[in-house]
Amino acid sequence: MNLERLPNEEKLSLCRKYYLVILVLMPLIFSGGFAFLPFLWLVNVVWFFKEAFLKPAYTEQLLIKTYVKRSALGLLLWVAVLTTWNIIFQHFRAQWGEVGDNLSFTIPLGIP
Amino acid sequence: MDQLSTKWIIHLLFSLCFLGVSCNSVGKKIYVDLNNTVPCVRLLNATHQIGCQSSLSGNVGVLHVLESEENLDWVLDSGPNPPYMVILETPLFTRSIMMKLKNGSSRVAGVAFVVPNSNPAGGFSPHTSCPNENSGVYTEGYDPTLANCKNTVWNPLGSGLSYEDFDFPIFSLKDDNDTEVIRQCYIVHNRPVNGSTPRYPLCAMQLFSHMSAVTNTPTCMRRNDINFSISPEYVCDPLGDSNVWGSSRPLNNTAKGHKMWESVVIAAARLDSRSFFSNVAPGTESAVSGFVTLLAAAHALRNATQEAQPNRTILYAFFQGEAFDYIGSSRMVYDMEKNQFPLDMDNIHSVLEIGQVGLRSDSKLWLHTDPVSRRNATVNKEVEELIENLQLVARELNISGEEPNLSQPLPPSSFQRFLLNRPIPGVVLEDHRSEFYESMFDNREYLNITYPPELTPEEQLEYVTDTAKALTEVATMVGRALYKQAGGEDSQLKNINADSQIVRLVKIISINQNFFSNDRPLNLYVGVYQQASEPTALVHHLLANLTGSVLNITQENCNNQREDEEDKESKHVGHTAVFLLLAPPNSTERRGFCVRSTSRVFRALSPAFEEHNYTNKAYSTWTESRWKSIRGRIFLVASHELEMLTLGVGIGVLLTSLLLTYFISSKADILFSSAREPTNATY
Repeated sequence: MNLERLPNEEKLSLCRKYYLVILVLMPLIFSGGFAFLPFLWLVNVVWFFKEAFLKPAYTEQLLIKTYVKRSALGLLLWVAVLTTWNIIFQHFRAQWGEVGDNLSFTIPLGIP
Repeated sequence: MDQLSTKWIIHLLFSLCFLGVSCNSVGKKIYVDLNNTVPCVRLLNATHQIGCQSSLSGNVGVLHVLESEENLDWVLDSGPNPPYMVILETPLFTRSIMMKLKNGSSRVAGVAFVVPNSNPAGGFSPHTSCPNENSGVYTEGYDPTLANCKNTVWNPLGSGLSYEDFDFPIFSLKDDNDTEVIRQCYIVHNRPVNGSTPRYPLCAMQLFSHMSAVTNTPTCMRRNDINFSISPEYVCDPLGDSNVWGSSRPLNNTAKGHKMWESVVIAAARLDSRSFFSNVAPGTESAVSGFVTLLAAAHALRNATQEAQPNRTILYAFFQGEAFDYIGSSRMVYDMEKNQFPLDMDNIHSVLEIGQVGLRSDSKLWLHTDPVSRRNATVNKEVEELIENLQLVARELNISGEEPNLSQPLPPSSFQRFLLNRPIPGVVLEDHRSEFYESMFDNREYLNITYPPELTPEEQLEYVTDTAKALTEVATMVGRALYKQAGGEDSQLKNINADSQIVRLVKIISINQNFFSNDRPLNLYVGVYQQASEPTALVHHLLANLTGSVLNITQENCNNQREDEEDKESKHVGHTAVFLLLAPPNSTERRGFCVRSTSRVFRALSPAFEEHNYTNKAYSTWTESRWKSIRGRIFLVASHELEMLTLGVGIGVLLTSLLLTYFISSKADILFSSAREPTNATY
C-alpha cells in the first residue's frame, strides 16, 4: 500500500491501529500468548518513520509521532528481553540437562 | 537447398562432437577415497562417553607420518601448518603418545593407525588393566583388600586407551596399496627436507566419523524418546544380543521359575570380545578358545549323559556381551531372580567356567576360586570337591591343574555375577596369558595356528595343529569333570573324549573360511541389540548339531516345531528344532537337516534397559552411538592465503559488476539513446 496516496486521517488511523491493536487487543484475543508482537511494532516504526519525522507538519502528525515513539520503545524492550534469553539459553542449555532438552525444539547431534 | 544442406552438415558435425566426449568427474580428479578403513566409534555408559568423534563436515588435516615420540613436537608445537593428521605405526600407538595428542587436540585433526601384517612383539592391549572392575563381585563392600585389582592385576599390559574420550577421529588402515599411496603423497609433498618448511600444496586427509550421541547413556536415551519434533532422531542404541544355552537333559522351557528336585551344574563360557576399533574383535584367545572347548566338551558328553544319566543336569551357557560389564550373565541372573527363566538361583549346584584356555605354558591350567565365599564351610567343602575332581581328571590327561594362592580373587569372569547374588561353589579355568587381551591382534597368529606350508586348503582343514590338540585335552578334561560334578559314575569317565575334529573349529572360526565369504576373521563384538552378532547364531547351531539328533522331517515342519501336520507342540517340551544347512563329510554341497536338541537362545539385554533405569550402576549401561557416514579421503590442499585471495578476487568481481550495472542503468538514456527513434510511450 502506498502511503503517499492516503489522506492524512487514514494514515493516522492505520498507525493507531497497528499500535493499539497489539497493545490492547492482542492480549484479549490470544490470552496469555502472542501479546505485544514485536514485529508489528517494527513495521509500525519503519513504515511511519518518514511520515512522523521527515514530512512537514500537519494536524495528525503529532499523534502519529507518539504512536511511532511508543512502538519503538516497545520494540526495544522486546529486543532486549529476547536477546538476553537467547544468550542465556544458548550458553546454559547443555548444563540444564533434561530441562534444556524439554525446552528445545531441535537438539544438535554430537555436541552436548 | 544450399542452406538446408549446410544446416544438415552443421547438425551432423555437432552430434559427432558428442561421440568423442566422455563424462569427467572433477571430484574424482581431486579426491582419492580410502577403502578398508575401520573407525573407532563412540560408546556411552551411565556416566561417561568413550571413543572418538569428528566434526559434522569431517576433520581435515595435513598428513604427517610420525617417526618417533620426539617427532611429536612437530605436530604439537613447531609444525607450521596445523592441524595435522597423524599417521602412526604400531610401536608408536602407546598411551603416552595418544594422551599427548589428546591434550594438544587443537593442532591434531585425527589419527590414522596402520595395521601391521603380523602381530607386534611385546604385546598390545588397549583395554584397562583391571577389566570390569565396577561390575564384578569385588567391591569395597565384598572385600576391600581385593577390590579394584589390589591383589592381582589381571591385564598388566593394559593401556586403557579403549576407555578414553578423544575429540578427533581415529581410523585404522590396512597396510596395502592405499596406504602406500598415502605414504608416497607424504614423501613427495609434506616431508620437511633439511629442516625447511614444506611448501604448499600439501597432502591432506579428511576423515568423517560424526557421532550423534553425546555425554552419557541417560542423556542419549532421553533424546531418543523425544517425540514431538518433526522427524524423531535416534542417537544411540543399547549393546546386547542373545545368549545361547542348552542342557544335557531337556528342561521344561514354558514353566519358569524354581523347578523342584532339579539341581544344575552350569558350564559357562563367553562369546564376545572387543578391541579399540569398532567391529574388529577376533577374540581368538579370550573368547573362541573358551567356547569351542565347551562345545567340544558338550559333544563329548552327549553319549554319556544319554546312556548313564548323572543325577544333576548340566547346563551349557554361552554369554554374550561379557566384555561390557557382563551384559549376558547379569541378564541371566536377573531373569532367574524374576522367575523369567526355566530355573532359579536355588536350582544351581555349582558353576564351572571356561575362560582363556588356548595358550598353556608348561601345560599348566589355573583353577581359580573365590576366597571370600570359601570362608563359609559348606561352600568351601563343595569347592574343594570340585577342585579335587578337576585335578583328578587333569592328571589322567597330563594337564597340570594348579590352584593359585588361596587369597587370590577370581579373574574377570561371568561367575562373578552369580556370586554377586549368593555364594555358590564354582571354579574358573584360565591359562593367564594376556599379551593381546581384547585387542585386534588377538587372532590366530597369537594362538600359533599355523600349518606346514605344503598343505592345500582342503588338507589344512583336516590337519590337527598343536593348539587343537591342546584344546582337545582341555575339552576332555572339562567334559569328564562336568560329568563327575554332576554325580556321574567314575566308570563312565574314560568314555568321555573330545573329538579333535570338533576342536579344529577354532581354526575355522579364526580363519573364517567356511562360514562367510569375506577374508576376515569372525567378528565377536557384541554390537547393538537390534543387530544380531555373528557368533551367536553360529554357536546356537553348533550346539544343536553337536548335542542333538537329526530328524527326518521337512523344513516347514521343522521351523514350526512339529514332526508332522498333526503334531502337538506340547509333546516336545524342552526341545527345539533347528534347521541347519550343512555339508556332510566328504562332500562340499550343503544339504538341509532338521536337528532336535535342547539348544536355545534367550535375550542378552542389560536389565538397566529393561527397567529403563539408566543411572543404575549395578548393571551394564553401555550404548553405542549412531552415525551418518564414515569414510575418509586424501587430497592436495592449498595454502590459506591462496584460498583467501581467491575469495577476495571473487568478491571484488561481484562488487565491481554490481557497481558497473548500477552505473550503466542510471546513465542508460545517455548511453543507449543515440541509435534509437524516440517512441511514444503507450503503457
